[in-house]
Amino acid sequence: MNNNDNWEEDEEDDEEDMEFSRNYFLAKELTSSVKKSKHKITDIDVVDEQELRDASLQIQPKHENEIAVLMDSYTSMYPEWLLSLRCGFALLMYGFGSKKALIEDFASTTLTEYSVVVINGYLQAINLKQVLIALAELLCDQLKAKRKVSGRQPFNTQSMEDLLTFLYEAEVEDTDSFVCVVIHNIDGPGLRDSETQQYLARLASCTHIRIVASIDHVNAPLFWDKNMAHTQFNWCWYHVPTFAPYKVEGMFYPLILAHGSASQSVKTAAIVLQSLTPNAQSVFKVLAEYQISHPDEGMPISDLYSVCRERFLVSNQVTLNSHLTEFKDHELVKTKRQSDGQDCLHIPLTTDALQKVLLEIS
Amino acid sequence: MAPSSPINTASQPPSTAENDIQPFFVLHKASHRRKDRTPVRQGKYRKRNEVSPELPQSSKKGEESTNEECDRRFCQQMQIEAFDIVWTKIESTIKDVLRDLNASVFNNIQQWVLEGYNTTRLVGEPSIAEATRSFPVLNNTTPGKLYTALVITRNIEFVDDIVTFEELGIFLKSHGCHVAMLSSMEFSLKNGIAGCLKALLREFLGGSFDQSADLSTLASWYREQDNYNKPLVLIVNDLERCCGSVLTDFILMLSEWVVKVPIILIFGVATTVDAPRNIFPSHALECLCPSTFMLVTPAERMDAIVVEVLVKHCTTFNIGHKVAQLLRNYFINQDGTVTSFIRALKVACLLHFSMEPLSLIHGRILVEDQDAKSGLSPETMSKYMDELPSYARNKMVDQTNKSMAEGLSELVTVQKLWSTVVLCLYEAGKYSRVRLLDLFCEALNQVLYPSRDSVCHTRDEKDHGLPSTNDPCQQYSILQSGGFICQIARRVRDLPPGKLDQLIDSWEKITADISEIHEKLKILQSSVSFKDGKSSRRSSKDISKRSVSKIIDKESRLSNLQAIAFLDDLVRNYLKPIEGMPFHEIFCFNNVEKLQLVLIGDPRRRIQVDLLDFHDILGCSCCNKSGKALLPSMHDSSIMYSLAQEHGDLINLHDWFQSFRTIVLQNTNKRKQKSKNTPSSKKRKEMNESGDQNEASIQARFCRGVTELQITGLVRMPSKRRPDFVQRIAFGI
Repeated sequence: MNNNDNWEEDEEDDEEDMEFSRNYFLAKELTSSVKKSKHKITDIDVVDEQELRDASLQIQPKHENEIAVLMDSYTSMYPEWLLSLRCGFALLMYGFGSKKALIEDFASTTLTEYSVVVINGYLQAINLKQVLIALAELLCDQLKAKRKVSGRQPFNTQSMEDLLTFLYEAEVEDTDSFVCVVIHNIDGPGLRDSETQQYLARLASCTHIRIVASIDHVNAPLFWDKNMAHTQFNWCWYHVPTFAPYKVEGMFYPLILAHGSASQSVKTAAIVLQSLTPNAQSVFKVLAEYQISHPDEGMPISDLYSVCRERFLVSNQVTLNSHLTEFKDHELVKTKRQSDGQDCLHIPLTTDALQKVLLEIS
Repeated sequence: MAPSSPINTASQPPSTAENDIQPFFVLHKASHRRKDRTPVRQGKYRKRNEVSPELPQSSKKGEESTNEECDRRFCQQMQIEAFDIVWTKIESTIKDVLRDLNASVFNNIQQWVLEGYNTTRLVGEPSIAEATRSFPVLNNTTPGKLYTALVITRNIEFVDDIVTFEELGIFLKSHGCHVAMLSSMEFSLKNGIAGCLKALLREFLGGSFDQSADLSTLASWYREQDNYNKPLVLIVNDLERCCGSVLTDFILMLSEWVVKVPIILIFGVATTVDAPRNIFPSHALECLCPSTFMLVTPAERMDAIVVEVLVKHCTTFNIGHKVAQLLRNYFINQDGTVTSFIRALKVACLLHFSMEPLSLIHGRILVEDQDAKSGLSPETMSKYMDELPSYARNKMVDQTNKSMAEGLSELVTVQKLWSTVVLCLYEAGKYSRVRLLDLFCEALNQVLYPSRDSVCHTRDEKDHGLPSTNDPCQQYSILQSGGFICQIARRVRDLPPGKLDQLIDSWEKITADISEIHEKLKILQSSVSFKDGKSSRRSSKDISKRSVSKIIDKESRLSNLQAIAFLDDLVRNYLKPIEGMPFHEIFCFNNVEKLQLVLIGDPRRRIQVDLLDFHDILGCSCCNKSGKALLPSMHDSSIMYSLAQEHGDLINLHDWFQSFRTIVLQNTNKRKQKSKNTPSSKKRKEMNESGDQNEASIQARFCRGVTELQITGLVRMPSKRRPDFVQRIAFGI
C-alpha cells in the first residue's frame, strides 16, 4: 500500500516534470512555427516621456478595498510570526505584490520590544558594513544596559570579520532579546552577489539577530545552498501575496516604452547618487560642472583625475576608476571616444536635468 | 489593539518616503516595556477564565484589549517555554546519537594525531636559536612531511558534515590539541594565500595579532610555555570545494615550517580517496603523508536519529502518519540531508506548539512538574479537551469515569508498546534491508491498523497459543498485508536458524522492560529452544543423514513460523498508531499542509498562481463574471501575464502592448472586437479616438506591468540583439 502511494506520488512528480518540459518545448515550437511577429516597439505611438512618467505616478490602483481586507487578514498571523522569530527561526515572505508595507506594519506593531533595522534591498547599492556597524551598536546598547563593555575598538574601524564575530559572540543575558533585521527584497540588485548573501547568512546565524526578509523573484531560492538555507537562515516560508503595487521596488527599473536609457530621469539619478559616498558624489559634481560649462564636449578621464586629485577627492587612479565603474553601472556616465582617440566621459542628461540633479544632491 | 491596515500606514508620510531610499535605517529601538512584562503576566493569570482565550478580536475597549494582549503574550511565553524544553531535549538527544556514532572514528583520529605529532617532532626538535629565527628550519634538503587525515564523509552533501567536523574539533581540543577550523571559503582565489594565513592565525591566536603577522608569529606563539607540546591540528571540512592552487601554496608553505610548527591536517573528503590527487600537483602531494578514515553514512545517521527521537520518543512530541510521510519523501526524494530532516522536525515542533493550545502540557510532563504552575487552569484545560475531536469520538464509549489523566497515561503506555513493536520489526527488518523511515511511516498509518485488527477478530480463537505444525503461513495477516511489515515477516520466515537466534536475542534486549511483550517472547524462546533441544536429541538417534537434515529443516521452519506468529501478535495487538488514540492531538503533530507550506516555499509556482488566479485570493466581485475571459477590471499584471501565456518563449512587445490595450479598453469599446489577439491598425485608430486622454495612462500601466513581471523574474528585458522582444522565463506552473 505504502509502496503504491510512493509510486503514485513519483508518477505525479514525473508527470509534473513532463508537463514542464512539454510546456517549454511547446513554447519553443510556437516561436519557430508561428511566424515571428515583425512588429517593432517603435510602432507604438509612445507619448512623451515626461507625460509617461507623470501618468505612471497617477495610475489608479485596482481592488483597493480587497487588498486592504487581504492585508488586514494577515494581521491575525502576526502572533505566529512573532513566535517563529522568538523560537529562533527567520521569516521569508513571498507572493505577488509589494510586501514592504506589510512587513513594516508587522515590525512596528508586533516587534515593539525589539530593535528593528530595515534594509532596503531593492536599492542599487547597499553598504553592508554600515548595516553591521549599526547592528553592533544596537546590540552593544543592550549589553551596556546590563554590563559595561569597556576598552572596545570603535565599530567603524573594525573589519567585517570582527563585526560578525562580535555579533556572533555577543552575550545578552536575556535570551529572548534580539535585534530584528528586516530585509526588503533580499533578492534585490544591491544584495544579489554571492558574497553579500554569504555575509547575510552569517549574520542570520548570530544568536541575537533575527531576519525577516521578502523575496519577489521566482528563482530567489537559488541564491542559497543547503547550509545557508537550512542552518544559517533557517527560513520559515510564508506565502503572503498582497497585490500592492511595487512602487519603490520598481523605481529603478527603466520604463520599457521610454526609448533608450539615455533619458535617465533627474529623480532616479539623484537617488542613485544619494546612495553613494560623499566622495563619489563630489566626483560626479566635478564631471557635471565640466559638462555644464562645456556642453558639447566630454571630459577626458585624465582631466577628471587631476581635478579630483587637486580637490582631495581621490588619491589614485584606482579609486577614481571604481567610482566611474559605479557610475557606468547605473548609467550615470558614458564613455565616448573622440576623434583624437581620447576617451571622454559625459553624463547622458540635458544641461537642465543636470542642474536639477546637482541641486538635489547638494 | 485594533489592527490597523498596513495599507493605511503606507500612505507615505514624508519620513517614510525618505526612509524608502535609505539603504538601511533603524525603524525603532527596543522599548523598555518588556522589563515590566513579568509582573503583569502574573497579575493577569488568575483572570484567565474571565477573558476569552480566543485570539483577540479587534475590540474597542481599551482595558479589555490590554487584558487580551497580556493573555496572549503570556500564552506565547508558555508556548516558547514548552518549545524550548521539548526541542532542547530532542536536540541534545540527536547530539548524543551522533556523538556515539562518531565516537570510534574520533578516537582513531585522536590516536593518529598523537602518533603523527610524535613522529613529526622526532624529525628534529629545533634548538632555541633555530626556533626563534624568523624563517623556517630546513636542516635536510627535503621539506617535512605533513601528516594528513582524509576523512571520507561518504556524503556529497557537506551540510551534514559541518557539525561532525565541529564536533571533531571540540573532541580534539578536549584531548589537548590546538585546533583551527577553516572552510573552503577561506581557500578561494579571491582570498589568496594571505587571506588563508590570516584566517589560520585568527583561529590559533585569536584576534590579537597585527597585520604584518606571518608564520613566524605562529611559530613563536607555539614556543610559548602554555602552547608548547600540544599538537596543532588544522581541519578543512570540504576539500573538494577549496581552490586547488591556493591550497597547494598553503601546503607547501606549511611543509617548510613543519619543524617549527608541527601542524597536522584533517581534510573532509566528500568523494573518493582520489580527491587529493585530482586537486594537488605531485610536488604538493609529496609533502602529504595521508591516512584514511571513514565516517558513518547519512542513512545510518538517519536511522539512529529516527530510532531515538521518533521511535523511542525521547520527548512526548510525536508526528502523525502524513507528516512522517512528508518527511520521508522530502528526505528520500528531494533533499537527502539529515540537517534538513532535523530542521523539518523542528518546524513541525514549532507549529505544533503554536497551533495546539493543549500542547503546552508537553513542557510540564517533561520537567515532571505536575503542579498548577502552568497558566492553564484545569477548567480551561478540560474545556480545550472537550474540543478535541478524538475525545468527542471516544466520549460515548466511556464518558463517565475516564478522567483525562487516565486517558493520557494510557496514551503513554500504548506509545511505549508501539515503539517496542517498531523496534522489534526494525531489528528483523535489518535482514531484509527495509529502511526504518519506511517502516516508521507504515507503522503510523492508521488506515492499515483496522484491517490488521479485523483479521484478528475473524480468527480470534486461533490467536491463543502457538500455531500447529501444519498451518500454512497464509493464516498470518502479517504475511498478507503487503507493505514493509509483510516484507520483514517474509524474510523472517526464511531466516536461517543461526540468524533467527540472533534476532530473538536482540528482541529480548528490546523488550526487557516491557513485561507484556517480554512474556510472549519468553514463550517463543522456550518453544524454540525446546524444539532445538528435541531435534538435536532426535538427530543423534536417527541414522539417515538425509532425514536428519530434513527434520532439522522442518524444525527450524517451525521456529521461523513461531517467530512470525510472535510478530503477528505484536503487530495486531500493540502496533496502534497514535492517531487512533484519544488525546493524541496533544502530543502528535499532523497538520501536514501547514508544515509543507512553512517548510518548503514554492515561489516559482505560487507567484505564477497568484497572478493567474488572483481572484481566488482577492475574492473581488468585479472579476468573476465570465470565467476565464480577461476583464479590464483585473489586475494589470495579471492581464499581462495571462496574455504572455499565449506567446512562445519570446514576447513581441508591440503585440503584447496592443492586446493589453484591447483588454483594458474593452468597456469603452463596448466589446466590439471579438479577438483580443489581432490588433490591426484600423482598430487602433478607432480606439485612439475614444480613449485618447487615456493613452498615456495605458502606456504607463503597461510599463508598470512589465516592471512588475520583471521584478518577479517572470520576464527578461529585451536584449540589444532583440530590442522588440522580452523573454519568458517560466513555462507552465
